[in-house]
Order: sequence, then C-alpha cells, then structure tokens
Amino acid sequence: MHPVQKHLFDTNFKDLAGSKLEGTIAISEELINMGIMDFLNGLKPGPEFDAPEKPSPAPAAAPDMPDPKKLLALLNIEMLTFRTGKDKVMLNVKASLQD
Amino acid sequence: MYLALMPILPQPLATILENPEAHIGGTDVTLDLNLGRAFLNKVLAARPADTPVEELLLDPEAGNLVNLHLQVQAPVIGNVRRRITLQPGPAVSFPDQPWLQFNITAGFKLLDKPIIKLMQSQIADKLPKGVELTSDHLRLHVPALLTSAGYQKLVPLIKELQLTSEANRLVIRLWVVA
Repeated sequence: MHPVQKHLFDTNFKDLAGSKLEGTIAISEELINMGIMDFLNGLKPGPEFDAPEKPSPAPAAAPDMPDPKKLLALLNIEMLTFRTGKDKVMLNVKASLQD
Repeated sequence: MYLALMPILPQPLATILENPEAHIGGTDVTLDLNLGRAFLNKVLAARPADTPVEELLLDPEAGNLVNLHLQVQAPVIGNVRRRITLQPGPAVSFPDQPWLQFNITAGFKLLDKPIIKLMQSQIADKLPKGVELTSDHLRLHVPALLTSAGYQKLVPLIKELQLTSEANRLVIRLWVVA
C-alpha cells in the first residue's frame, strides 16, 4: 500500500477532517452500467481461488483496510437526493467529513 | 521522466476523460478538501530519493501563510537550510487566470541565487513544463500540468481552483462545472 494511503487509513482520515462536497453530480447511464459490470466482476473469485490452501494467516495479518462502518460514521450527509435526467442520473449532495 | 508517473486510469475515469460532456454533463459541484499537515508531509516524503533536496516540510499557518522548510545540497555553498514563507494567491479560473501562484514573502535572500538556480534546474529536469520559481514567487500553470498528466479535457471544467492556508492545514477549493 502507498505510504500516503496507509497514513490516511491508520489515522482514520483525520487529516482530511472538515472536507466538504456540495452540488450536483451527473452520471451517464453508460458510466453506471460500467460500474455495475466492474462490481459484478469484483465479486467473482480471482485466480487465487483455486490456489493450494496456504496456512491461514493470523487475523492480525489481514489487510489493514478501513472498516466501511467506521468510514460511514465519519461522514455527515446533510442531503443526498437522486433524480433521473436525460440519459443521466443526477445526485444532489451535501456532505462533509467530521471536523 | 515524469511520463512514467502517468496513472493507469480505471475504465470509468478514462471514459469520462474521453467525453466529459456526454458522461458528467450537468455536474456543478464544489469540493473543499482539507489537507492536514501530517498528510501533506507524507506526500512530500514520498518524493523520489535521487534529488539534492534533503528536507522538504510544509507548515501551514493561519492567515494564509505557509512555511516551507527546505534543506538542499547546493553547489559552492554546500548544505543549507531555509524557511521560506509562501502566500497562496488568487483562485485559478479558466481561461482568464491559469496560474496557481504563491508569493514568497520571506526566506530567499539575494545571496540565495545558487539555491534558486539549483531548484530551477531540478524543476526543469524532473517536473513537467508549467512550474516556475523565482526569488519572489512560485507558480504553477494548471492547464499545462493537467495536460502533461493526460487530463487536458478536465481543464475547461474547472471554474475555480484555490488554495488557502489555515492553522496546520491547506484547503483546496475546487468548483467543477461540466
């Protein structure tokens, strides 16, 4: 993992505290469908699935990815609405990271 | 040299770059990104090892002033340390104001020409065109830098890009309209 990414995870994104996002994000149907395919492909077992079983690593050696629940807890979502436009989905969003 | 740093883009991002209007047209969003001091210095510490810059630390202050602690191995004068104070300038907007400018309010004296020359040659060798350093300012030509990174189609979408300093953090404001 890149040291900068590791730092953000290790410090629970404290260094980005107070960051804000506000406005409308438009996403084309093509992009959404691309995202769906990426997601589905991500669910398929990778090549390691058939690899001979390694001795199971201790839980402490698990990849130190942040817990999605903890990440969501950092997020203040004041508004998140969804509407469909012409060939696009429009998200109105007002959100921030806890300061 | 820097071409090696060009990212391999995930497919959705590459698709947006091909035709921003078709894929994100209608977007109007403002991001205020706060970057804490520890984070900024992690980023600076990840620079390539083969530079004569031995120390590079940022210390953002309240009142829109950023201190840059710099230690370089310069010809003739040898190993020197400086604290340079930078004042971020006005917002970048296209097409009228393409430069992200930092005024150097303190730190480089007249005698520091060898350090400035060294930094200029490093910039010329290692960074894409669009970074300019003199004894009184550092400025970045944002369209040129985005273009050299492969993001030229994003240039017209940037309505406002501004950097300001607060105590222990830099704030980047980015307003994008597609």
